[in-house]
Amino acid sequence: MDVLMVCSGGMSSAIVVKAIKKEADKQGIDMNIKAVGSGSVEDELKDGQYDLLLVAPQVKHQFDTFASYAKENNVPIEKVEPMGYTPIGAPKTLNLIKKYK
Amino acid sequence: MTNFLNWIENKFMPPLAKLAEQKHLKAVRDGVISTLSLIIIGCFFLVIGNPPIQSWADAIAPYVNQITIPFRITTGLMSLYAAYGMGYSLAKSYKLDGVSGGVLSLATFLMLTIPLNVDASLPEGEGIGWVLPMGNLGGSGMFSAILAMIFAVEVLRFFKEKKMMITMPEQVPESVARSFEALIPGAFVIIVVWVIRVLLGFDINSMLMSIFSPLNNILGNNLIGVLLPVVLITLLWAAGVHGVSVIGSIVRPMWLVMLEANGQALIDGAQPNELPYIAPEQFYQWLVWIGGSGATLSLCALLLFAKSAYLKQVGRFSIVPALFNINEPLIFGTPIVMNPILAIPFVLAPTVTTTISYFAVKFGIVNGFSVNAPWTLPAPVGAFLSASNDWKAAALVIINIILAGIIYYPFVKVYDKKMLEEENAQEQGTEEGETVTV
Repeated sequence: MDVLMVCSGGMSSAIVVKAIKKEADKQGIDMNIKAVGSGSVEDELKDGQYDLLLVAPQVKHQFDTFASYAKENNVPIEKVEPMGYTPIGAPKTLNLIKKYK
Repeated sequence: MTNFLNWIENKFMPPLAKLAEQKHLKAVRDGVISTLSLIIIGCFFLVIGNPPIQSWADAIAPYVNQITIPFRITTGLMSLYAAYGMGYSLAKSYKLDGVSGGVLSLATFLMLTIPLNVDASLPEGEGIGWVLPMGNLGGSGMFSAILAMIFAVEVLRFFKEKKMMITMPEQVPESVARSFEALIPGAFVIIVVWVIRVLLGFDINSMLMSIFSPLNNILGNNLIGVLLPVVLITLLWAAGVHGVSVIGSIVRPMWLVMLEANGQALIDGAQPNELPYIAPEQFYQWLVWIGGSGATLSLCALLLFAKSAYLKQVGRFSIVPALFNINEPLIFGTPIVMNPILAIPFVLAPTVTTTISYFAVKFGIVNGFSVNAPWTLPAPVGAFLSASNDWKAAALVIINIILAGIIYYPFVKVYDKKMLEEENAQEQGTEEGETVTV
């Protein structure tokens, strides 16, 4: 499955995404996950084929905006919990992702 | 304290976040962001034009105007690029054609600037064609660009909603049809601005500058004004929201105006420690947000020595990103968010370092900031480049790291003790003990 994670600049989410990917590989889950900044999420959703959009906790105030993009592209959307947004929180966020598999 | 944090999350943050997500402000933010890479490139030439060593400076002195041309064309014309970017973004948010919105916004902005030849400011027969004064197209034109963009795109939207436009038959290619769609609203916009600016002679640029320059002075040079974004940004982060993203959306145009004014002053021969504005965004970026918002590099370093296994681990995975000013793993891992113990130094430490840095720049001990260096550079390097190659700026970064560390220390001690107690209790509570996975 293909997952997209959005944060403010696409920097911190890149760190988290890496940890999630590592965890997924460990658990033998076939998954691609990509990080983007809030400015390019709309185009990324349109151009790519994503099965889930994850919203980083620090941009939760933009959730409604992201939700409207997600709806246009028929992609489900979820908020990442604060404690799930760290390298050691990766298993937690992966569990969230697994629900959409 | 917990009540206060709840209040921030439920009462204080939503209106600010809503404001930052407002359509016009969002267009301003996206438009301004689209110019940032150009500004970084332009500023690079400012670094070359102001070498740190006097003999180099003397050697390149005859060529400074040639060297700084990329700065003048990029940063020096930032409002031009922003006018297009903002118009594009606002039009897109209304589901209008982005390019039409951007082009019309740019034309409207340029209409506000009268070529110098018109009122005989330039002698005739110079053989240089018509000349637009660049001064109004840089930072000082930012507010005109914003106004022009809103007017142009709103008219575009109004005409489209009221179906007052030339519609082409379906056989006509879409891109051609779109350019015709913009014809009537475009003409309306240009005529209105022409009447106001040229026929009535009303100078919108200088009117807006006279409104905004006091505001710039407060945000850029007054201690309270300089501290305000620091407090707001850290409070928002303490409630878990990206403070710079919210506050920056609102204040960044003014920060950019300050940065450009400082850069212009520098190439016009001002001393690098006597620039017009103390606090463009780079002031915060390099002297205050060391390791990320909240000056968390110091916190991260302290966590490396924590007794709690969990905190130590957070320190370990956060330290490398922290060197490049990325601190979300730390903020959500420690966590600082909604944590009454650590929220206090998270607000307090940057407030103190801002105050000290403010006076250091104000009294000319450290150079002012005129260069937009990429924010992921380690802080001493970024500070050095951004403050006209000033090693004292890098030294101030080190001082601020130590100061922030001293402020964080007692709070980290208390929190570490609390976490350690919880960890011990947990180990005793469960037979096999909670294992922490790396």
